[in-house]
Amino acid sequence: MTSPGIADLQTDPAEEKILEQVATLLREVIGEEYVLDLQITLETSFNEDLELESIEFVTLADRLTATYGTRVDFVGFLSEKDVDQVINMKVGEVVDYISTSLAASDG
Amino acid sequence: MSRFLFVVPPLTGHVNPAVGIAGELVGRGHQVAVAAHASVVGPLLPPDLPLIALPGDLPTAERDEIERRGRALRGPASLKFLWEDFLVPLGDAMVGPVDAAVDDFRPDVLVVDQQAIGAALVGRRRGMPWATLATTSAELDDPYAVLAGVGEWVSDRLDDFSDSHGVPRGGSDLRFSDHLTLICSIAALLRTHDHPDHYAFVGAAAGWRRPAPDFPWAALDPGRETVLISLGTVVREIGGRFLQAAAEAAGLLADRVQAVIVAPPGLIVDPPPNVLVREYVPQMELLERVGGVVSHAGNNTVCESLSRGVPLVVAPVRDDQPIIAEQVVRAGAGERVRFGRATPAALARAIDAVLDPAGTYRAAALRLRDDFATAGGVGAAADRLEKLS
Repeated sequence: MTSPGIADLQTDPAEEKILEQVATLLREVIGEEYVLDLQITLETSFNEDLELESIEFVTLADRLTATYGTRVDFVGFLSEKDVDQVINMKVGEVVDYISTSLAASDG
Repeated sequence: MSRFLFVVPPLTGHVNPAVGIAGELVGRGHQVAVAAHASVVGPLLPPDLPLIALPGDLPTAERDEIERRGRALRGPASLKFLWEDFLVPLGDAMVGPVDAAVDDFRPDVLVVDQQAIGAALVGRRRGMPWATLATTSAELDDPYAVLAGVGEWVSDRLDDFSDSHGVPRGGSDLRFSDHLTLICSIAALLRTHDHPDHYAFVGAAAGWRRPAPDFPWAALDPGRETVLISLGTVVREIGGRFLQAAAEAAGLLADRVQAVIVAPPGLIVDPPPNVLVREYVPQMELLERVGGVVSHAGNNTVCESLSRGVPLVVAPVRDDQPIIAEQVVRAGAGERVRFGRATPAALARAIDAVLDPAGTYRAAALRLRDDFATAGGVGAAADRLEKLS
């Protein structure tokens, strides 16, 4: 199910760094020992793998704002998603969105 | 005297509050009946509350299959499953039989569980007084939060449901009666405290319970704090790992704690000597004696505990439970742990923290106890329903 876009990301050092940051934030939001050992990749799914609840998305949005500032509008990003897109959402999409948002604001 | 018809879905957690309020109305001399599926709801009704059995009781195999599929799901996927595969089909199946029950019983007021949308549709279509009974406050506590698309999806399902039965969409969707919405909680637990006048927060709607005879009260050591560990009936069968960890956690605290775990026989392997495992417990009486509760954050257990000033360790599994768990944490009346992963050591630490007599969790729970007392419980619910009749 890997889309070409996501595969490309894996070789980009800037995106690697974003993935690392997002993974760290997710571990903080979930806040339990088991996620310390969990490998979070671009293919990790929010619903099935991380079992993130709607209230935890709120916390994640706060952490992303604290990390990237208003350049990254994660709440706006989520508000566009329909129910199936939320259920199927993967970490790679968020990394991609952050990367695009940061690039747009730099340019 | 008036006539009240309660309509309850075949979900255990939704039955007890309806029974509590219905029982209060019976005690006041009203004519009350409960329309529900006999196999699930029948055993939970007191003998003096007549059941109008709804047809279409699911065969056991089919219900097991729905439960099995539901168990595997979490988060928004579980919510989608609940509405699409359970509540909407249930609503469709209920419309005709509930309409017939209203013809037969001729209630002055229909009291409709928030998830029994078929009965809400009947109330709205007939233009009769009907009240929503929300056995959990989750729907009023911004449950979809930043996932607006999920909230819209649910609301669209309700509009489609009204449309498909040719009933005009009302001011609110079928989860909220415009006449009266009774909420089994207190406003202080919610994010927002401003609500319309026809929303009545009645606190814990505890009433009659299936008797739990022969509870070995003498086995409880008055020198140790008691913890009640209960995952409710729905999750009991998937809670083996968690309850085993909880039993071991209690074992780690044996010098000062004893635990009563609600579980079927044999589920917990070699429970420590300070752990009492019982299939049924007299929960309300036990709550007068315990220092803390470990729960899946089912709204009934949470509200009943807080109404007795008892703090909680909450391990939400699905549905509204993460929202209710968040309410407990936000109110400072307990700690959250992960249902799927909590270790005995993590559970022991959380139990120890809520039991601390000088701790903030207990103080917060005691403050909430006063709010619950003010809310009035089943008496307040009955008052509001009488005004509607």
